[in-house]
Amino acid sequence: MTPAWVPRIALPFVWVALVVLIVVSLGVGDLWLSPARIWAGLMHQDELAATVLWQVRLPRLCVAMLVGAALSASGLVMQAYFRNSLASPGLLGVSSGGAAGAVIAIGAGWATTSLFILPIAAICGAFAATMAVVVLAHRGASTERLLLAGVALNALLGAVTSYVLSNFTLTYERNAQVLFWLLGGIEDRTWEHVAMITPVLAAAALLWPLGRPMDLLSLGAQEAQSLGVNVRALRRRMLLLATVMTALATAVAGTVGFVGLIVPHMLRLIVGPEHRRLVPLALVGGAAFVLACDLIGRAAGGLRLGIVTALVGGPFFLWLLRRQT
Amino acid sequence: MKPALELLNVSVEARISEVTVQIGAGAMVGLIGPNGSGKSTLLQVAAGLLPATGSVRWAGHPLDGLSILERGRRTAWVPQEAHFEFGFTVRSVVAQARFAHGDDERGVDEALAQFDLTALAQRPVNRLSGGERQRVLLARACATEAPLQLWDEPLAALDPRHALELLVRARRLREAGKTVLLSLHDLRIAHCLDLVVVMDRGKLRACGRPEDVMTPELLRDVFGVKASTLPGLTLELP
Repeated sequence: MTPAWVPRIALPFVWVALVVLIVVSLGVGDLWLSPARIWAGLMHQDELAATVLWQVRLPRLCVAMLVGAALSASGLVMQAYFRNSLASPGLLGVSSGGAAGAVIAIGAGWATTSLFILPIAAICGAFAATMAVVVLAHRGASTERLLLAGVALNALLGAVTSYVLSNFTLTYERNAQVLFWLLGGIEDRTWEHVAMITPVLAAAALLWPLGRPMDLLSLGAQEAQSLGVNVRALRRRMLLLATVMTALATAVAGTVGFVGLIVPHMLRLIVGPEHRRLVPLALVGGAAFVLACDLIGRAAGGLRLGIVTALVGGPFFLWLLRRQT
Repeated sequence: MKPALELLNVSVEARISEVTVQIGAGAMVGLIGPNGSGKSTLLQVAAGLLPATGSVRWAGHPLDGLSILERGRRTAWVPQEAHFEFGFTVRSVVAQARFAHGDDERGVDEALAQFDLTALAQRPVNRLSGGERQRVLLARACATEAPLQLWDEPLAALDPRHALELLVRARRLREAGKTVLLSLHDLRIAHCLDLVVVMDRGKLRACGRPEDVMTPELLRDVFGVKASTLPGLTLELP
């Protein structure tokens, strides 16, 4: 059993880890920057450092943290919604739905008309996928049913994406963009992308007070309602927040898998299943996890974020599946 | 005084039909009937958890007029079985009883003690036996302090001692003016009850005092068993 002090120090510990990762992420690269030079750059006292930080590393850092927080929190919410610890946006096909929506928008050329078209298309795709999962695998469905629904949906959405790729006359640039989406990555992200994903902060604020009712819901809908939880309203809000957060993350970083599975699961093992504790931890921990994966990818010579999270998440998922059976 | 629970012409398609029952405050009521006769459905309708035609009132208040939070304060429902995916501690599950009261934790430790769960308070609920899980759900129901307690087969997984203790607990709740409606299969404990409601194939078959209702003819007709009053094994708390 986890010692009682572990849950108490978990959040401060994850915060410290995040701060360390932020400093390392800002300092490491072709131009190495010491903490003092990072400060000078942020204050525009060192012009070269300021250019590197404000033009390249800070937007990438912000996108990485917000993507991580969004996917992790989204996975946590989906696990409580489906009452299944294997539910996550990637496995259920919600991320693929977001990616398919975005790829269609890119392929059709709509994405160039406005900055908001891409996230809107991703949100539409993610919502369509979420609704399909809700229909295919009802709440409280067995792990097998949930995973099969996810496999089917991921295959279907993959086919949609392939169809778009093969039928639209795509330029090299568009092709590269589409591939970027499918592999997932945060290279060359700008402040526009940060602005695109910033609504995740609002979603996180709305998610914060749902921790306690989510505890009750994760033990059964009828039980939660009998104890005073407005289950219908809670479920609607959970589904909306999880889908929007996944869609926004997918809109700026493409399909980044396993974050929503690994982070909530690891945190649950450390601090227990109470969502009042898990919601803030999943947000901060998800940000730290994706930042760490990005650093690993950069250290490995520019490995895409989606590939790193898959390399970490794949074995973890298999271990989890084995543990559950 | 208004009845604690009124079910007026309540129907759920293909499950129960035109059931009308009135239960006064401070009563311990047994809901009996064969498998599939509609006992669990009736309890869910009474708890406001299953949509039904007809009317449900708690202490004279129509259910539709009460907010979900208010319903959580007025009633406690114990399901027949519970699936625990996540490892919440026993104490945190029992403390959920106070959600509708602003999570004030009042009566949680007492409920744990009453159901012999103090030693298990920090154990993950998904690692307990069926009987222990049942006690957790019953402790949670009692910790709500709700005036209407609806328990679906609460004795099914309990050992004889805990079953007898539960009946004592239910009797105390009745003495405190609360109403306990519980479904059960063990007809031998009918003598503990103030009222018996008999369901058969989704319809109300009889409702009244146990000695008036549980006749050998009705038991043979409803359950297909021959009832006799030969002395058998009698269990009591020491």
